Amino acid sequence: MELSFGWNDVFLVSPAIVLFLFSLLPVFLKVINGNKADSLFTSYGVSLIGLFVAAGFSVAVVFRQILEGGSQLAFSEALVMDGLSSFASLMVIAITIFALLLSRDSLALKGELFSEFCFLLLNAAVGMMIVAWSNDLILTFIGIEMMSLCLYIMIAMSHEPIFSKESAFKYFVLGSFASAILLYGMAFLYGATGSTYLPDISEMAAEMVLTHRIFIIGILFTLVGFVFKVAIVPFHAWTPDVYQGSPTSITAFMATGVKVVVFIALIRFMLTDFVLTPDSVISQVLQWLAVITMVVGNFVAIKQDNLKRMLAYSSISHSGYILVGLIAASLPGSQVEGVSAVLFYSLSYAVMTIGSFAVVALFEKHHDTQVNINDLKGLSSSNPYVAFSLTAILISLAGIPPTIGFFGKFFIFSSAIKQGLYWITIWGVISSVVSVYYYLRPVVYMYMKEAEAGQEMMLRDDAPSTKFTIFFASLFVIIAGLLSQLFYDLVGHSVMTLF
Amino acid sequence: MLLSLITFLPVVFALIILAVPEEKYVRPTALVLGVGQFLLSLLVFKDFDPSSAALQLVEKTEWVRSAGINYFLGIDGISLWLVILSTFLVPLIVLGSWTAIDKKVKGFHVCLFLLQTTMIGTFLAMDAILFYVFFEASLIPMYYMVGIWGGARRIYASMKFFIYTMLGSVLMLVSIITLMGMTKQMTGQMSASLLDFYNLDIPFVAGTMFSTQSLLFFAFCIAFAIKVPLFPFHTWLPDAHVEAPTPGSVILAGVMLKMGTYGFVRMALPIFPEATEYWAWLFFSLGVIGIIYGALVAMVQPDIKKLVAYSSVSHMGYIILGIFAMNVQGISGGIYQMLNHGISTGALFFLVGMIYEKTHTRKISDYGGLAPAAPLFTILFIIVTMSSIAVPMTNGFVGEFLILTGTFMANKAFAYVAVLGVILAAAYMLWMVKRVFFGAAGKVVNEFAEKNVNLDISKREFAVMAPLIVLIFWMGLFPNHFLSWSEVSINHLVKNKTSYQLQVLNNDQKSAVTAQTKSK
Repeated sequence: MELSFGWNDVFLVSPAIVLFLFSLLPVFLKVINGNKADSLFTSYGVSLIGLFVAAGFSVAVVFRQILEGGSQLAFSEALVMDGLSSFASLMVIAITIFALLLSRDSLALKGELFSEFCFLLLNAAVGMMIVAWSNDLILTFIGIEMMSLCLYIMIAMSHEPIFSKESAFKYFVLGSFASAILLYGMAFLYGATGSTYLPDISEMAAEMVLTHRIFIIGILFTLVGFVFKVAIVPFHAWTPDVYQGSPTSITAFMATGVKVVVFIALIRFMLTDFVLTPDSVISQVLQWLAVITMVVGNFVAIKQDNLKRMLAYSSISHSGYILVGLIAASLPGSQVEGVSAVLFYSLSYAVMTIGSFAVVALFEKHHDTQVNINDLKGLSSSNPYVAFSLTAILISLAGIPPTIGFFGKFFIFSSAIKQGLYWITIWGVISSVVSVYYYLRPVVYMYMKEAEAGQEMMLRDDAPSTKFTIFFASLFVIIAGLLSQLFYDLVGHSVMTLF
Repeated sequence: MLLSLITFLPVVFALIILAVPEEKYVRPTALVLGVGQFLLSLLVFKDFDPSSAALQLVEKTEWVRSAGINYFLGIDGISLWLVILSTFLVPLIVLGSWTAIDKKVKGFHVCLFLLQTTMIGTFLAMDAILFYVFFEASLIPMYYMVGIWGGARRIYASMKFFIYTMLGSVLMLVSIITLMGMTKQMTGQMSASLLDFYNLDIPFVAGTMFSTQSLLFFAFCIAFAIKVPLFPFHTWLPDAHVEAPTPGSVILAGVMLKMGTYGFVRMALPIFPEATEYWAWLFFSLGVIGIIYGALVAMVQPDIKKLVAYSSVSHMGYIILGIFAMNVQGISGGIYQMLNHGISTGALFFLVGMIYEKTHTRKISDYGGLAPAAPLFTILFIIVTMSSIAVPMTNGFVGEFLILTGTFMANKAFAYVAVLGVILAAAYMLWMVKRVFFGAAGKVVNEFAEKNVNLDISKREFAVMAPLIVLIFWMGLFPNHFLSWSEVSINHLVKNKTSYQLQVLNNDQKSAVTAQTKSK
């Protein structure tokens, strides 16, 4: 294989390069300053500028795709730049911007290590982009490791003394274990097909999946590695603890960014044609996983009193919904609908999740505050706008029209029904009814119970960027719900380059 | 434009209410806006052509193109009166809740107007997904209404109401998506329009639940049956009614329950004609069980409001009976009874609320001898009772008579049992009236006589009741003033029950255009 690359390759991956270069600046400037406490601008400001520049480059890449048509390959075809990749880059950049906004206000992350934090955050974003772009399993693995390692450290950096250390360690141990399984599966695939390059695997998959045991084992192990990262039951046990213990801004970043890109990697992996019919073993396994995830996620969330834990379980159940779309995407006949539904849902899920964790962040007046649902008592009187915004986000999470969450579920279930997968659809809609119970519990506390005098939980009033995030998310879920065609078209354009 | 205006003006009203600076101006503003909205909705009669069965005043714009979902509103004889009912009750509710709602007044009126939008939207939507959006969105304001302004167990009741109703409607969503897939197979273009659903030829096998048409039919029916509520899906209703504040009960009984029966007429019957015909016996049975069971349970209730709530279960059973009789009399009666029930049960809830506001008790045993203490109140209550138990000259009589006639023509056995319900209704209502208004003066009356406080209704309360009383007699004496507007649509539905289709009346040219002809 010839190892050479030109400017075109560099241009295509420019968003990642820009982010990486900008990530060096905060640390670099800190050293120049003589390791003194850094100013807000050199860490936060520089990172934000870097993100916007990267966004500019992503848009340039998109224009180039439109001009030249279709997908482009970079670095000896190891990275693929198609609509899916551009969607992922823009999503990752947007998510990172919001994570940075929330982190700025976070008391758990305040202090002299913020420049290092910015370095890690931007590099995690670079890792995420690589996961979404990679056309080769080894590169996917590298991307996942890069993003995970940054996350382990960021979680452990929190000033909160107990939970964050526990969750960093738990995430690290279990994450490494899952990475090992992922790598193991990839090794099997390499053994069976002689390649880790997805198009090569794709050529052989349809035939091998019927005859080759090693190949099937490889597929299953690789899938296990992937679904661990997106918290599919029964590989979800780490999620509630890690989400609860992490600084809230990092929880929001993890719950959205990691999931979106790993699901995109899963789309690329599943489109290698190894699932032929809904009755094949692999499809059956995935269907069961989806059903169990939706049911367990939603039922366990009912019993949670800690708001962050409840949102963690809710995010598990949402992974289940996305997996339903992914199953449809993997089957011949509904691939376009399936992929579009997955992307649309990821978009809506990301906005809702960032918004809901931003509300949690607004409650954290100390670096170790734990927010319980009954702390929301009487919020509608003390902070009507925050209460309204959280209500809009929760209603959207529950999938009640006319919010974007409803249309997300609508597209997911439409694609499943197109394949005749009624049984998962019915489990899905019934578990979403169950979810209404716990999504409305905060609403009950906010609107229907009054806090005793002197017991009101006061919100932070020094967190403008968190508030901005909340209002942005709540307006988005309503307006984008009414204009869902617009967003579906955007998603549809990125999907079109795939087929 | 008119239909959109009627549907979405209340959202604007809600925003206006939010902007009202002082709480004391909220109620007058809401009243003026509500009355204005009612008058505006009367404009529909100007453009509505009762001699045509077609869909009128149609508005259609693309909404979610890739899934064939349209913003599609239209009105015909079936939905006409329900829309008017929704706009008619809201100003009365504002007036009726003048003193009953004492906290978060602004929020209450915002909820009320948002609820009005979703109700009207449900009746006007001719696109299944749009219908679903309104149908489901109506839960949110109602949930708040019960949960914030309700009684002691309000949180339990509101949650039960929300989850129960949603459980039914998500199954309907699955069914709608399936039907949308079928339109794609048939026409090549995915569509959620009801007009396209009517043209579908869905495979039906008699004798089994597990044929496509029956399964889809039941998915729709469970959603509507929970909303109606049809026995045995009625258990959320007494909880919701007892815990809801008076205006909440009025709107719940008055309009929201009709979303279910309307759904039967608009969707279940015409989309699934074979299944409707085949499973009619089931709905007859459930309707009749509901009538008798609701009446028997109402009879033993110690709480007036709960009694009225169970009487609702009984009355809604009649409507189901009429609809599934599938003849002109039955369906006309069913639609007429939807209005009657909205008016008479709404009025009953108002009256119960008025007395409760003064005495803070709804227990029948606390009352007795109320008639001398509150004569005007007694007269009004008895008039409304007469309407509720279908005494001739009141609206209830016309509705129940038509329904029973229709049922006799369809199935005699069920009709015989259903007639028993009329007697039972008289029994529980009159017995309650006797215990509350007549006999020796009870605890409450004595208490208020000692304090020398007037128990009778005020001028404002009379103003709330007067339009309802007028309507009770107007609808009882001149049913044709109302039925003539729906007649053609109902005839069209009954005549074409196996090949129903709806045409769109193009208002500019005033000519009927065939939407699509059925390929059979």
